[in-house]
Amino acid sequence: MRHLKPRKAVNALIMTLATLCAALGLFLLFIILFDVLRNGLKAIDWNLFLRDPAPPTMAGAGGLKSAFLGQGLLTLTAALIGVPIGVLGGTYLAEYGRHKKISRAISILSDIAVSIPSIVIGAFVYAILVNPFGSYNGWAGAVALAVIILPIIIRTTEDMINMVPWALREAAFAMGAPYHRVIWGIVYRSAAGGIFTGVLLAIARIAGETAPLLFTSFNSNFFRLNLSGPVPSLTVSIYQYAASPYENWVSMAWAAAFVVTCFVLFLNIVGRLAIKLRVKG
Amino acid sequence: MDLMTVDKLNFFYGRHQALKSVNLPIRKNAITSLIGPSGCGKTTLLRCFNRMHDLYPGNRYEGRISLRDQNILSGDIDLISLRSRLGMVFQKPTPFPMSVFDNIAYGLRLRKVKNKNALAERVEKALKQAALWDEVKDRLGDNAAGLSGGQQQRLVIARTLAVEPEVILFDESTSALDPISTQKIEELMVELKKEVTIVAVTHNMQQAARVSDYTALMYLGELMEYGDTKSIFTRPKHKMTEEYVSGRFG
Repeated sequence: MRHLKPRKAVNALIMTLATLCAALGLFLLFIILFDVLRNGLKAIDWNLFLRDPAPPTMAGAGGLKSAFLGQGLLTLTAALIGVPIGVLGGTYLAEYGRHKKISRAISILSDIAVSIPSIVIGAFVYAILVNPFGSYNGWAGAVALAVIILPIIIRTTEDMINMVPWALREAAFAMGAPYHRVIWGIVYRSAAGGIFTGVLLAIARIAGETAPLLFTSFNSNFFRLNLSGPVPSLTVSIYQYAASPYENWVSMAWAAAFVVTCFVLFLNIVGRLAIKLRVKG
Repeated sequence: MDLMTVDKLNFFYGRHQALKSVNLPIRKNAITSLIGPSGCGKTTLLRCFNRMHDLYPGNRYEGRISLRDQNILSGDIDLISLRSRLGMVFQKPTPFPMSVFDNIAYGLRLRKVKNKNALAERVEKALKQAALWDEVKDRLGDNAAGLSGGQQQRLVIARTLAVEPEVILFDESTSALDPISTQKIEELMVELKKEVTIVAVTHNMQQAARVSDYTALMYLGELMEYGDTKSIFTRPKHKMTEEYVSGRFG
């Protein structure tokens, strides 16, 4: 009992420190969001989505139409590459390979891969898909983004599939269903909501990425439905315009940053809401 | 007549021997119940009949189980067609995440029945056999998860019946249900034995006495006693059987 007092004091100290740190983190986050909101709302208008960049001397006339289209194309292509591989990979880990040591290893490596800095992935893809071909290209950008979402989708799929009770699979096996029909008709159907949410959150993760695109698809002023050359990118444009000396380019960067932030926020809210609703239902 | 015979069956989960030289006949168009204390091997035996153990690595059978003189433990048996001859109803209801109709049609679609009228006809027939038709005929398109526990269990029975199996295996299928639902399932089992052969694992002594024609008592992986239900419950040969069925042990 004699030790109770110092213990209580230490507890109070740690709690105060933890609360302060949390408050500091939140404070900084809100400053960033508030700044993006204030400057973004001031600069945003329809031209941002409808026009292409104007020379810096023509104040307020330009937009980032190509950059939006390019970013969308890159994200979509990345999802088309990453989602099927990720879902099938996660299926292997949770179903066909569930008793194998290699599955455990892949699962752990995926968890580690989620936290690889995206610029490292950009540099890696630069080495295999840009350097040998001699020019920045959209495929490299899409592959870099796909590599980023792959471990997220693999792990979410694995977790969601593991949540499907074995009794349900046994019931389907007992009906004489072969394994692939059990996975396709029963397991995927049960896990579909969770896997979809995972895909949504993974896309939110890459929608605002800049670093992996800098080395791969880089940026361009003109959008074409062609991934063999540089592709206009919203995030890289923000990076370049924000660092430019021209006031109207800087304000365009704020507006674009505002749009990207809202989009990522929206995907995250939808994704988390879906999780919450499912847990309740 | 015996539809199935179990002959000197040994079963191993890896190194652990769970069944020891079990011999048992399964009479056609009758209900055989498997009783015994927890861990005695009754569910293990039931799951040998449709080779559910093959889903997991390291399991091994020795001996013979014949179904119409065919050894279903032989390596070249096609498990998919075997499992359509022996349906299984589990402890907890296992409705698939789809509509009532699609649940019943699941096995038919696996067997490539595609004609819409044929499907609808067989779904209705199966639901009527399972005494569920009147309760769900207006909600065939609703998700099966919305049915009550007892209805879900009858749905699973209907799903099994739709593919016209020769045997239905019940694995403590009423233990998660309320008394009224349990009674309905029991009545259903008695009704169904006109068309199929039933093997039921149960913990419930009264249930075994009420519905089954033959009873097998298992203990520590061995078959202790087998006979018609009446004599097992009134004139058991072994002292242990008498103690178990009267509730003094187990």
